[in-house]
Amino acid sequence: MKWAFYERLQTAIAAGGSTAVVTRLSDGAQALFDGTRWDGALALDDDQRAGVQRMLIGDRSGILPGSDQLFVRSYARPPRLIVVGAAHISQFLAPMAALAGFEVVVIDPRRAFATTERFAGVRLINAWPDEALETLKLDSTCAVVTLTHDPKLDDPALIAALNSPAYYVGALGSTRTHAKRVARLTEAGVGDKVARIHAPVGLDLGGRAPREIAVSILAEVVQVRYKGAN
Amino acid sequence: MADASAIYHQAIKSLASDAVGHGALAAPDARAFLDNPLCGDCVEMQVTTLRSGAISALAHHVRGCLLCRAAASVIGKHATGATAADIERVSAGVIELLQKQAPAPAGWEELAVFAPVHGHPSRYRCVQLPFEALLAALRST
Repeated sequence: MKWAFYERLQTAIAAGGSTAVVTRLSDGAQALFDGTRWDGALALDDDQRAGVQRMLIGDRSGILPGSDQLFVRSYARPPRLIVVGAAHISQFLAPMAALAGFEVVVIDPRRAFATTERFAGVRLINAWPDEALETLKLDSTCAVVTLTHDPKLDDPALIAALNSPAYYVGALGSTRTHAKRVARLTEAGVGDKVARIHAPVGLDLGGRAPREIAVSILAEVVQVRYKGAN
Repeated sequence: MADASAIYHQAIKSLASDAVGHGALAAPDARAFLDNPLCGDCVEMQVTTLRSGAISALAHHVRGCLLCRAAASVIGKHATGATAADIERVSAGVIELLQKQAPAPAGWEELAVFAPVHGHPSRYRCVQLPFEALLAALRST
């Protein structure tokens, strides 16, 4: 590794983002991905880049599947789960996700809900979701779930999440609710991205209680992290 | 409970999207920020006032529902020239209109667009919040 490249790697890691280094074993040529941008002398095609990003999201290092000489070294920060809405489900989801290794942030401008009494030990942000998401600088190791039960708050959060590299975007609500949401988001100009939204949110485990829905959501967030959206 | 769609009629939607008075003043004499902890609506109100106490310029930044944004827009259209006493009268008139279906206060007839909100007590505060924020700003001068 050249010194200048090493410095770029150090800078990217120090900036707090997840970073991957790809080395072609035949000649040592390298590429660096800092979570948003690619850099370095080694050129990768779109499929290879997508494969590296999947490995980085799962914090896996090793030979890039499908290649025999591209070695990926992942320097992943802990995955983040951004929960928008300090609702009942969130009270279960936040501690469960923290136990599962996520850095959890709960966002809700409704101070009556987003209280430290209801969310002991959880990082809470009392702000409008889109403004809060802007400060969190979402990257490809982030999952965003909207659970406010209010489109006024969910929609701006979803627009911000869809315009970010977040690897997972999920929204609470029935199929019917989601159809209306898709219409609003399309009008808001993100119609080409709404297919990224996981809705109804979570794996279908059959449970309907808030704590069970929390398990469904967490299960899906973990599944997509390792297996991708399909 | 009355039909919820009745409160989101076209005049409300137009007022909300027009957002008259939206923005910030270069050098406000006073400002106030109020939020509703139950629904997340928040209003920042900025004013400059004349020696007489009358509002010479006003700007607001609202994150909130249609009703809240529409109410701020009505303020943006009508509050210039008003004093704190005027706004107190109008603010009380808004409560009368919402709670008792009283006619809109004189000079502020446009507030009649909020009459259908009468059937939705949980939404009264959405309409009141911008007036409360304006009063808070004026009282701080």
